[in-house]
Amino acid sequence: MVERQPRSQNRRLSNSQYASSASTSPERGPDDDNDSFMLQQNDSVSSLACSDFDELSDSMLREMEERCRLSPISRLPAELMIAIFQKLPKTSDLKNCMMVSREWARNSVGLLWHRPATGSWEAIHSVSQTLHNTQTTFDYDHLVKRLNLSSLGPHVSDGTLLPFRSCKRIERLTLTNCSKLTDFSVAKVIDGNRSLAALDVTGIDGITDITMDAVAQNCYRLQGLNITNCLRISNEKLEAIATSCRHLKRLKFNGCAQITDKSVIAFARNCRQLLEIDLADCRRLENDAVTALISEGMHLRELRLTHCQQISDTAFSNLPYGATYESLRILDLTGCVELQDAGVHRIIEAAPRLRNLVLAKCRQITDRAITAITKLGKSLHFIHLGHCARITDAGVIQLVRLCNRIRYIDLACCTNLTDHSVTQLATLPKLKRIGLVKCGNITDVSIYALSKPRQPGMQPVSPGSGTPSSLERVHLSYCINLTLDGITSLLNNCPRLSHLSLTGVQEFLRDDLLHFCRPAPREFTEHQRNFFCVFSGNNVARLKEYLLEQQENAQNIDPDLQATQFGGPTMLIPPPPAVSGPLPQPTHIPPPPPAPPAPPALPIHQNMGNLAILPMGQPGSTLVPGLRQNSLPRLRIPPARELGPNGTPPSMSPTNDAPLSVDEGEEFIDFPEIEPAPQPDREGGRSIQRRRSIR
Amino acid sequence: MAETQYLYIMPDENDAKPLRVERPAAERSVLLKNLLGDLGAESGNSEISPIPIKGINTTILTKVMEWCQHHSADPPASNDDDADSRKKTTEIDEWDQKFMNVDQEMLFEIILAANYLDIKPLLDVGCKTVANMIKGKSPDEIRKTFNIQNDFTPEEEDQIRRENEWAEDR
Repeated sequence: MVERQPRSQNRRLSNSQYASSASTSPERGPDDDNDSFMLQQNDSVSSLACSDFDELSDSMLREMEERCRLSPISRLPAELMIAIFQKLPKTSDLKNCMMVSREWARNSVGLLWHRPATGSWEAIHSVSQTLHNTQTTFDYDHLVKRLNLSSLGPHVSDGTLLPFRSCKRIERLTLTNCSKLTDFSVAKVIDGNRSLAALDVTGIDGITDITMDAVAQNCYRLQGLNITNCLRISNEKLEAIATSCRHLKRLKFNGCAQITDKSVIAFARNCRQLLEIDLADCRRLENDAVTALISEGMHLRELRLTHCQQISDTAFSNLPYGATYESLRILDLTGCVELQDAGVHRIIEAAPRLRNLVLAKCRQITDRAITAITKLGKSLHFIHLGHCARITDAGVIQLVRLCNRIRYIDLACCTNLTDHSVTQLATLPKLKRIGLVKCGNITDVSIYALSKPRQPGMQPVSPGSGTPSSLERVHLSYCINLTLDGITSLLNNCPRLSHLSLTGVQEFLRDDLLHFCRPAPREFTEHQRNFFCVFSGNNVARLKEYLLEQQENAQNIDPDLQATQFGGPTMLIPPPPAVSGPLPQPTHIPPPPPAPPAPPALPIHQNMGNLAILPMGQPGSTLVPGLRQNSLPRLRIPPARELGPNGTPPSMSPTNDAPLSVDEGEEFIDFPEIEPAPQPDREGGRSIQRRRSIR
Repeated sequence: MAETQYLYIMPDENDAKPLRVERPAAERSVLLKNLLGDLGAESGNSEISPIPIKGINTTILTKVMEWCQHHSADPPASNDDDADSRKKTTEIDEWDQKFMNVDQEMLFEIILAANYLDIKPLLDVGCKTVANMIKGKSPDEIRKTFNIQNDFTPEEEDQIRRENEWAEDR
């Protein structure tokens, strides 16, 4: 309590308009020096003046008290005024605060200039103009902490960036895809900056060793470096950065085909705080770099090696025997085609707490790798096995049993999989996203299973119990056996569903349904557009409502049909208007005596045969398709297969050997919201035709 | 559940009477919480003499403790809170809005007290309330709202306006 006293007095003192807190920057690092842009005394200086305090205090205090009485807000010290200004959402509000009084200007200027507006040419021009002036009210140059020119991308030239060369305290410099920039401006901005913490020069071809040299010479505090697609940066200069910027935590070198093991190993050895490294498409990268990154990076959390095709099992088998790397949570090996079951086995041994594992297009792996993966148990949340076409139902079933916290699974093009797999996957209590694109064997049975409420412990669902499905995103493109019935059930029973892709599914290629489909990506050809069928966002709910209406309409027509059957007056009933809610029953038609009235809860089910509408809370026993499920052939789970003599898996089955030539780019991609581009059907045999209309 | 524990805090005022507060409410204040920890005031030790709170009078302290009492069952602040507060949102829940519906003098005293007692969520609500009073107002309207003197010379005012022209609505 006592030690707080002086601070509260300081606070009173700082009400004087001549004193001000030095802390106008909203995010000051602990070791920042003072932002002494106002060249005024800071608190420590004013406390030195204590001897004069008593004499001064009387008149000053009286003046202060009077001021506070008239304007209560004057009681707030600078730090609290800054806290208030931080809550203002618009720069225009901050600007208005600057215009209020000198004190308000001092307290708001740091926030306003922390990240100057660079979203339009007008704004950039105006900011540059102010920076260019020498006689300014404040030392604006040193207040700029973040500069982001990415929204103007390719229009940004060296001339745009150069006015900022006086801003030597920029902490984040984001120049993503400002492709016209060169070393000429970028190196100048970086030169002399000791504060830079994050640099993003993605896609700037003009960035060479000159800029990287400036980074190595100046930016000792650098924590993040993104040089994606900067092909002119040499390994030597990267090594220099690795030796001088030892606080680096996040590296992104996507597409830097020039990068070799040498520089990556330098980062692994020198930057001991490394948390994330993304080396996607660094195609020259070899096993030694990967071994070094994992074995040296005790904090490494995320390692992405997408399409590093030279990576093989050796990268992991060379890890020190018995060592484990508990920090590693995310490993992406998409398209590391050399990887085999033995490699996966070593990965799981070394990184037992992996949460996200991406093995898409690691085409050699089999159920044996899946057996290894099951050791991750509850740690595993996210698994991508797209195009791992040798995986069978047995592997998937094992996986689901032992890793029941999976939230996201992708099995695109795992063509061996059947309804057995999906029925099991449907029991995952936390499943949010499932990708089954081109799993051509699956039928509505799978979809009905996914529609069922979840029951803890994987017990059979009893009617009226269990929590509704947690599914949010479902990818079923090219699952050509699916029908309207199954999807209707999915829509009606997954309240959180916000994405449903059905590209190439015949039953959905109807104009009335495609009305709810989102527009195909621009680059699609006419042919691709014809098969494109993705429902997302609100359109999922609208599609559901529409299908419900359709069924209700059908239900209303039904009595008429029955009346006709029973010889009643044949009346032409016009198509019912498309409204939701019950329509009045026609009264002139005698009730059909032989047909028992449909139970109110499931009238549609009765009338529509197998068009199953499953109202929430009473699925299960009355579920028509549930019966079908029993007709599945019995499944035997074979033991994990042994490796062949040379550590190679046994030869593939004929189905697995079938080349998957059509699938490039067709698999389900989740990160960017891109749907698989429908391709002309080259798989032979099945022809999908776009139906133009239903009536 | 154990019996509710109480403790006494003493406002900074002549002839002030100690205020009795429930311990979980008082512990919304990080200052008091740490202090109680330092005193070794473990559960069951109700023999703590009233804790003097310097610089906060009875009215303000009562008001602040009213807030603490209402929010005593709030979940503890998570680490995400820092990230959240950086999001510039000025939404305030209804109870807090009513609570903050006081004259300016009281409002700023609450903010000062929240800062001193280290009650971050209350400080946050206070700052948001003031921010809402600023939002959308012209400099002159802001001066009127808070009774602030414009101490710029016309030249200075003009220069600052020009230097910050870019900050009009993005």
